[in-house]
Formats: sequence, structure tokens, C-alpha cells
Amino acid sequence: MVKKIVKFFAYLSFFILAIIYFTPKVSLYYLAESKMKHFDVVVTSEVLKDNGFSLDIKNGTVMVKSIESAKFEDINIKLFGLYNFISVDNIYLSSTAKSFIPLYIRRINIQYYILNPLNIDMFAIGKFGKAKVVIDLLKRELRVVLTPSKLMKTKYRSSLRNLKKSKNGEFTYAKTF
Amino acid sequence: MQKLSNSAIISIISKLLIILVIAKSLSLALWWYLPSDGIEIKEKYNFQPKYQRVVFTNMIIPEKKVVKEKPKKITDGINITNMILKAIYGTNKKAFVIVSMKSSPKKTEVIGLGEEFKGYKLKSITISSAIFEKNSKDYILLLQESKKSKGSKSISKSYITKVSNHKRATNVTKNSNDLVNVSRKDIAYFAKNPKQIWREISIHEVKDGKKIIGFKIRRIQKNSKFAMLGLKKGDLITMANNIKLESYKDAIDIYNSIDKLDTIQIVVIRNNQEVELVYEIN
Repeated sequence: MVKKIVKFFAYLSFFILAIIYFTPKVSLYYLAESKMKHFDVVVTSEVLKDNGFSLDIKNGTVMVKSIESAKFEDINIKLFGLYNFISVDNIYLSSTAKSFIPLYIRRINIQYYILNPLNIDMFAIGKFGKAKVVIDLLKRELRVVLTPSKLMKTKYRSSLRNLKKSKNGEFTYAKTF
Repeated sequence: MQKLSNSAIISIISKLLIILVIAKSLSLALWWYLPSDGIEIKEKYNFQPKYQRVVFTNMIIPEKKVVKEKPKKITDGINITNMILKAIYGTNKKAFVIVSMKSSPKKTEVIGLGEEFKGYKLKSITISSAIFEKNSKDYILLLQESKKSKGSKSISKSYITKVSNHKRATNVTKNSNDLVNVSRKDIAYFAKNPKQIWREISIHEVKDGKKIIGFKIRRIQKNSKFAMLGLKKGDLITMANNIKLESYKDAIDIYNSIDKLDTIQIVVIRNNQEVELVYEIN
């Protein structure tokens, strides 16, 4: 009996892996892009590569309401159902934002996994410093904890004034949606 | 002799192959329904001529040359006398000042209460001065007074918010050609403090179906910078520098190129009539 259950789960795992491997990730990305279009967000001039278990998006430009908002070098998407991970490398924000924030972001990691099903965790690092973002899906709340860099503290003080300063030198921002 | 078809390995391989075929069939079915192309934005080209303003009076009466005095170089160490207090903003505990060194007056810094600038700690702020502290001694830095040059062109005042009552001195002036002068300092200030823009003015897109036809001013603060520019509540801004404002991109493009512009012309629809407003940026 145990042998049969083990066999069943082994075949099921193989089936799930096969499904992940054969899923048309590029077409799924196009679907996601068409959904984002409703919010006036479009990623343009990107190069897509299906790596079997992950999708690579290279050298794209993010347009919000037709305004060029950011450029990125690489996005890697791994969606395994139980563990989902997206990393974005080398993001250059549009010069429109230069008054508020340093324009270079080195990396953004977004992860969602079964052990923490009610939260989406994000982490970003760049010239602005480090930021940890948690999206609480139950409370519908976004919480940002920013550890600003020296550059951010000296040249972008007006932006930091919009955030709440905590005793340990971090800045927090919370918003419900 | 053992039959090959009875082998356990063949049985497992065949099962795995069946699983692969099912997975591939499902993915093909999914692929059939999914879009095959992404979304690309088409570049919209503007074929309208660029806005140009020609002042014909200049051809008849040559403009007087304004001789600029070269600023004296200050080579001393950092001293309170080498600083310029450019502006004071806010109230009580939330107040902050804009200061710069005389050696580089364009390089300004925003200093909040309790923060330091070149070793001087901002202790308190009054209507027209800021009190700094260094080595337990207090130093008073007075607000820079506005200067006016000869002729029609004017050097604008700093954008000042009085600490006590929020009333501001303004630097919107009209010159002899009925152009409204706008200071680059103010533009830089608003670029650094976008919240201040939305405190003074509220603008929303107006659509005809799905297409944006302009941006309507829903609220404008009395005596604000934007009110001084001649804008009124209910104005529908439809064009800027001969470019129809049909998207946020059109508006942002103008904003991004503002450093290179000397004049801005905007067309607003006010009481069903087109009104042209022209600003000169100094």
C-alpha cells in the first residue's frame, strides 16, 4: 500500500514538473502583459527566452500611461506553484524620478511560497539603500521598510520626509489597497 | 527467455512517456488559447511645427544688454557669512530652509530643524531669518532679499513661505511684451517638492470616450503660484507648445524638456473659448 502511495506521488511530481516544463511561458507572459495593459502598464522592446523551468526577459522598457518609467536588464521568473520567485536585475528609473530617488536599482527579488501563503515578500537594493516590502494579502496592506543609503539621506531628504522614521534609523511606509 | 514487455523498467518508462504526452497535450491546448503576440507601443510622431515666439519689436528697438557682474570668488573657509538663506518653508516644527554657499549659489540644500549644514546646526526659524548654532554660539542668517535688474527682464525672488501664516511672496511678473515671467528656481523647487504642486492645484484628465482631450483644473489655490500664472478653476489645458495633450506622455515630455525651453505656450479652453497663455522662463 505504502509503495503504491509513493509511486502515485512520484508520478504526480513528474506530471507537475512536465506541466511546468511544457507550459508555454512566453504565451503566458503575453497574457499577463495584456492584463497589465488595462492598468496602462506595458513592457516593451523586451527579449523573451523560455528556459524550461524559468522565463528570462531581457532589456525591457516599462511604460506607465505611455510614459517611459524604467528600463531593466534582466527579469527571471520561476513559477513552481509551491515556490514562486521573480528577480529583476539592473533597473534604471526614468529621469523624471531623479528629484525623488536615485535612479539605479541593482536588484529586486519577489517571492511567494506555500510556507508563507498570506504574504508576498520583496527585497530591493540599489543606490537608494535597501528596502523590504511585505504585501499582506489578508489585510490587503503594503508595508515598506527602507534603510536609506548615505546618498539618499543627503540628497533626497525631501523624499524621506514622506516616510515615517523609526528609532533604528529605518523609514517605514504603509498603505492599504 | 523473459519477455521484454514484462520488464518493470519498460512499464515505468511507458507510464512516464504517457505522462509526458498528457502534459504536452495540455500545454498545447493552453497554448492554443493564449495570445501569440505581446503588446508593443507604437511611437506617435508629432508633425505639427514647433512653437516659436518671435518678438518683432526687438528688430526695431534693440534690446538693452544687461552687463552681469562677475561674482566674487570666496576663498575663505566655511563661514556663516559665506551662506545665503534662499527660502523658508513650513510652519513651527515642520519648517525647513533652503541654503546655499555664496561660492555656488545654484547648489542649494534643504535643511530641516536640527539638521546640520557645513557644521552649522539649524536651531530655529523666524519669518525672515534662520538661527544656526555652532560651538554653543548662535548665528542669524537673514533671508536673501529679492533683486531686480534694469529693463523688462526681472530676476525673480525666492519662493518664500512665511513661517507664521503661509502667505508667500511671488515671483510671477509681467514684462513689457505681456509675457508672464517664470523663474527656473521655482520650476526646480516644484520638481523637488511635487507635493506642493498638488497642494496648490488639482488637475485631472478629461476623456472623450477612451481618448484624452486635455487636462482640467479642478482646484486652484488662491494667490498660489499657479493662480498667478493666470490659470483658473475649470480651465481645460489642451495644448502646450503646439503639442496636443492627448496622453500623460505628452505632458511629461514637455516637463522633461522644460530646462531647454525659454517660453511655454499653453492653450486652455475657458468658458468655451480658446485662450492662449505664454510664459517666459528666466
